[in-house]
Amino acid sequence: MERFITQDNLQRFAAGLAEKKNVLAPVASGGTTTFRRLRPGMQLDFSRMAVISPKDATFPRNETLLTVQHYPEESGKRMELQEHLPEGEMVVIGCRPCGTRGKLVFDPVYETQAIKDPYYIRRRDGATFITLACARPETTCFCHSVGSGPADEEGSDILLTAVEGGFVAKAVTEKGEQLLGDSLFEDAGAKAEEAAASNASARKLMGEAHDFSSAAEKLLKRFDDMDFWQTQSDKCISCGACTYMCPTCYCFNITDDEAGLVSRRLRTWDNCMSHTFTLEGSGHNPRSTKAHRLKNRMGHKFSYYPDLHGGQIACCGCGRCIKQCPAGVDIRQVVMAAQEYPDER
Amino acid sequence: MSAQDEQRELRIVGFLCNWCSYGGADTAGVARFIQPTDLRIIRVPCSGRIDPLFIVRALLNGADGVLVSGCHPRDCHYAEGNFYARRRLEMLKRFLPITGIDERRFEYTWVSASEGQRWQHVVTEFTRRIHELGPAPFFNPVSEEEWAKLALDGAARGASCACHG
Amino acid sequence: MSGEVSQLEELKAAIRGQLDSLDCVIGWEQGYDPLHATPLFIRSEADLERLTISPLAVHNPATYTTGFKGKKIGLVVRGCHSRSVIELLNEKLIERDEVVLFGLCCDGVVSQRKIRAALPADPGFVEAVELGKDELHITVAGEQATLKLQEVLADKCLHCAYPDPLVADVLIGEKHAPRQAASPACQDAFEALGNEEKLAFWQDTMSRCIRCYACRNVCPMCVCQDHCIATSRDHLWMSQENTPVENFMFQMIHVSHLTGRCTECGECERACPVDIPLMLLRRYMNKQVREVFGHQAGIALDKTPPLLTFQVEEARIKERDW
Repeated sequence: MERFITQDNLQRFAAGLAEKKNVLAPVASGGTTTFRRLRPGMQLDFSRMAVISPKDATFPRNETLLTVQHYPEESGKRMELQEHLPEGEMVVIGCRPCGTRGKLVFDPVYETQAIKDPYYIRRRDGATFITLACARPETTCFCHSVGSGPADEEGSDILLTAVEGGFVAKAVTEKGEQLLGDSLFEDAGAKAEEAAASNASARKLMGEAHDFSSAAEKLLKRFDDMDFWQTQSDKCISCGACTYMCPTCYCFNITDDEAGLVSRRLRTWDNCMSHTFTLEGSGHNPRSTKAHRLKNRMGHKFSYYPDLHGGQIACCGCGRCIKQCPAGVDIRQVVMAAQEYPDER
Repeated sequence: MSAQDEQRELRIVGFLCNWCSYGGADTAGVARFIQPTDLRIIRVPCSGRIDPLFIVRALLNGADGVLVSGCHPRDCHYAEGNFYARRRLEMLKRFLPITGIDERRFEYTWVSASEGQRWQHVVTEFTRRIHELGPAPFFNPVSEEEWAKLALDGAARGASCACHG
Repeated sequence: MSGEVSQLEELKAAIRGQLDSLDCVIGWEQGYDPLHATPLFIRSEADLERLTISPLAVHNPATYTTGFKGKKIGLVVRGCHSRSVIELLNEKLIERDEVVLFGLCCDGVVSQRKIRAALPADPGFVEAVELGKDELHITVAGEQATLKLQEVLADKCLHCAYPDPLVADVLIGEKHAPRQAASPACQDAFEALGNEEKLAFWQDTMSRCIRCYACRNVCPMCVCQDHCIATSRDHLWMSQENTPVENFMFQMIHVSHLTGRCTECGECERACPVDIPLMLLRRYMNKQVREVFGHQAGIALDKTPPLLTFQVEEARIKERDW
């Protein structure tokens, strides 16, 4: 099903949803555009790709898993434990196909036969993704090289395509179809063709895709070659911008915060580029340098993860890590350098 | 004191050097000088032990005021500790205005172990000042209304914030 | 433009002459698109060919020096970068005989934020960039735009008092006439706000901080690296909670550890992925340091940072009356 909505009406539609549900949308604020909870009076900003990915919707940067209330001894009670499972629905509007697809990398890890992460699963199932197709690739975009494209519908409930005067909205799932029943949506008519043409042109603008299929094997071949990784990580400053911007990075850390008789167990995004990520209790650190850490980040996304999960690359090609890296480390270049490394005899 | 009695106590954190001001507070107590009771004293071995971040952390965590008191310059038990402290504390005091935290919520001074009366004066005056300022605002927005207001004000600054480049 | 080309050749020749005796020389090359440069680690003649010194080359190479302890390296430095080097030398964090400084007399570098604001389309769609003498010709999403360099220079450059390297082994380019530093208008406007407004600004601004620590890791003076108290497990200075107060606490740590040491290279603000105007804090603290101690970090060798020393009678610290 395809419908049309004007730009103003999309804003109205989003504001209407925000009255009933938690809506996460790109909002310009303080010189940048990030996903923020849409509140009355806020305008959607579709003028640029939000700098932080919509990952917060399904995997928030920080959440309280449980709270423990301790009691003084004389009360006779010892402690009470309260779990904080996420409730309610969330709608993400204006994410791009790459950001939306990020959660597909989470699924094989957080929902397996043996392990089910109730926090993640509840959030994912309660989330609706109204994705905006990209009309033009940025210099950092490479979604087409990791099995996707600028109008990829996978993971979305609705795909919006910008056309003259507004957007064509295509329902991808039943959830999406229901939303398109809203009276703000009109008959798409000939706009549907305009959208299809725009999507085709966007794909064409991306040019030829790079073939990452040999990356898994080639990265493993470089596993013990620390000289290679030293050179590749020369300019890396070992901060966490890349991992925190990444729609597919799913590592977390758990810590306890205690204050008086209440303690909270927090889950926070973790960052494999940080020294403490692998720091062991003994003080030993198997990944003691940024070269070790960069090797892991690249290897995980393009080799170890695909090996475990049917060849799927744990990267959605959004390019945020390249664009936001303070030193301009380019993930494509690093993986290609491993791919192009001459084979030893 | 009578006016203060009617107000609820505020949270004032005092970092006191073991060798002087902590003794000074003791002297004031032994002499039964009347003092306000809002101050929670943390005893430290020297004002030079006080990382200015102790003070920042206290203020950000909700302290309504922080008072540091050490030995008079030239009187440090460790010869030089308070000379370093003076520089650090002065810089912190001067820095607070840019953060939006009222710099009057933090003060540092020197009180020796024999100056019970002076201690009484310092703690009374500082407590009076903090009561005049009232409870400190929370740094984290507390309610959804506060969050919404902040976010809206931020959004009003829009994409072209002029304050950096 | 020809001036810059000959300067580049002069610089390349100077580096070529010393490359064999150095572990590497850190400069810049074109990055992932024509609008962005990236640090370049020169180890061979082929690397040297990629060197650029255009105003797009913004990164402070001094950030990398402490990672090369015990090795001899070369750095291509602009005025502000040389201040970072001097401060590192003054604090004995690097050795003078372990760095060779190729100094550039600098006419300023760009601010990518200002370029974004000035372009007719998202800079992500950039196709070509041509550098003129005083302007940038940028093709973006099929459109041509000409930006005056002066209008997209970083704030730190508009008000820079030290465009020429203050320490260098090789100096490339013409020295500038002495300049007076000034504080940008936005700084004065912010400082004039009331406490309530300032607090609200930081509350909102800090709510978008993701604590990636790019500001810390890119800072040439943040030398604790893997042992920062913010990420220590032994002393919990900060909760992992991502709230404005915890995020701001980190900035307090950063500011307090930079008191009297910050060389105002602006890397923290440049690196911030969510555009937090950190220089508001840095410039303000540096002003306090100047007022109280008459000190500016990194402008002269053999100076002690003011918080690592004291005077028995402090000329400009008034004891408060009680």
